[in-house]
Amino acid sequence: MTSAASPAVRRGPDLRIPFGFALVALACVAPLFLGNYPLHAIIIALIFLLPAHGLNLLLGYTGLLSLAQAAFFGIGAYASALLAVHFGTPFYLNFLAAGLVTGAIALPLGIPALRLRATSFVMCTLGFVIIGQAIAKNWISLTRGDMGLAAIPKPYFALGPASFTVSGTVGFYYLVLAIAALATLAVYLIVRSPAGRNMIAIRENETLAESVGIPTWHYKLVVFMISAVFAGLGGSLYAHYLTVVSPLTFQMYYSTTMLIIVLGGGAGTISGVIFGSLLFVGLTEALRVAPELRMIAYGFFLLALVFYFPNGFAPLIGRFWSFLERRK
Amino acid sequence: MSGLPILDISGLCKSYGAVRAVDGVDLHVDRGEICGLIGPNGSGKSTFFDCVTGLAKPSAGAVKLDGQDITGWSLNDIAREGRMLRSFQKTVVFSALDIEENLVIAGQMFTFPGIWSTFGIGAAARNRVTALRERARELIKIAGLWDVRFQPAGKLSGGQQKLIQFASMLMPEPKLILLDEPMAGINPKLIERVVESIRLANTSFGVSFLIIEHNIDVVTSLCKRVVVLDQGRKLAEGTPDEIVQNQAVREAYLGG
Repeated sequence: MTSAASPAVRRGPDLRIPFGFALVALACVAPLFLGNYPLHAIIIALIFLLPAHGLNLLLGYTGLLSLAQAAFFGIGAYASALLAVHFGTPFYLNFLAAGLVTGAIALPLGIPALRLRATSFVMCTLGFVIIGQAIAKNWISLTRGDMGLAAIPKPYFALGPASFTVSGTVGFYYLVLAIAALATLAVYLIVRSPAGRNMIAIRENETLAESVGIPTWHYKLVVFMISAVFAGLGGSLYAHYLTVVSPLTFQMYYSTTMLIIVLGGGAGTISGVIFGSLLFVGLTEALRVAPELRMIAYGFFLLALVFYFPNGFAPLIGRFWSFLERRK
Repeated sequence: MSGLPILDISGLCKSYGAVRAVDGVDLHVDRGEICGLIGPNGSGKSTFFDCVTGLAKPSAGAVKLDGQDITGWSLNDIAREGRMLRSFQKTVVFSALDIEENLVIAGQMFTFPGIWSTFGIGAAARNRVTALRERARELIKIAGLWDVRFQPAGKLSGGQQKLIQFASMLMPEPKLILLDEPMAGINPKLIERVVESIRLANTSFGVSFLIIEHNIDVVTSLCKRVVVLDQGRKLAEGTPDEIVQNQAVREAYLGG
């Protein structure tokens, strides 16, 4: 798996941290000058950022191409929705449960799948999405089949005597922003840890990594589970935002969207994936104003990307960082 | 120092279908020894290495490292638990990473107690990495690569990559190193430097070696004992002088 520009673990203080804070600060004041529709587009982009972060850990850092993200996204969405609809549990419990359930399901799926070689592994992960959708369609007593689960409550918090519901676009925007920022921080810490270095080693040359004592198979399994957890958390947010889930939540289209975010933004970079999700998801949402041209425009955009930026936008972003560093 | 050999291999076989690539080889490496392994192309040397180091599973036979039976262990377990490291015939480095990162990666699994601890972000994990960086820098200096330490390892010459590979193997204070043609494809000027590095690791760090090498001068200067493989079997064993004089060895090479 070739992947884009330097994965190298950098040393010393890093300009990206203050820049990240500035970006978060800007995002915090965004509702003051953005209308509801752009905010909605950003919310969708930030929801998709979670599974994209997970896929980036798997593909960008460890070198494993997986199409299973949509399956875990759907599992997370259904887990959250079922809890909320049947038990009325508060949002944070549903959210955490979605992460735990997807991680737990990823373990038995990952053990056989990761024994397969490259192409077979990809086909196997594709199978997970199809099976997930089939279960959501046909286990009618649990999932209500094609009718889906509706009336999922908006995120509801119950902390002691105080309880409140996040309703409205602006409220949800802040909730998603906080979660996306925490998830980004988590990815950053994983990537910078010694384990992140081992993941890069596996991506660069698996046999060599083995020969210096790295248990590559175990790492791949752990990263597969972490990536599933990220997807499940994203699915939970998705369910609570749209308040409906249906078998369409398990869409191959979602897996390809996450793949486009990671490859188009720049596999093996965090800023590239953030940029990618804002661009690609935000773009498709924004293009909804011209529905008949939307997918055509999107397709042309992807073609242009492949021809002019074969490594995604990561090299551009890399140039931007080094520009900042030179000015310092 | 006990009299027990550091590596003791008995009756090692590896078959691919009807082909016996390695056919009942006995071989040992004494503690502190540099042992040579030679043989014509296709004689099974690399397959033999793969079976000993866990990259391939032997069909039969036993491998004992420091008294412990490691037959059938995986490559990463043998490296980590056994501290027996190997190089590859085709030079490999983590090309996108600089030399220091290459060496830190090579040392990580030997200082962290398990896979979960490598996800650590606290002071304990940072101190471990700092210690690894210090050792990496020392080895980079010894290897004479200080000036190019920030370049991606893949951009360096074949000889420099061999030195990186060699320095990587010294990161965890190994007991035994298996080198697969360390001199193949490197600049003749660098050969002397690699030979000196091997000798230094042997005398100063007490590392034992088993070396596959075609360059007979290198073998003669480094090894006191040489084992010859031919068609998957052990053909001869002795001092370099005895091997060079041996009629069967001459025929294997000339008639092979």
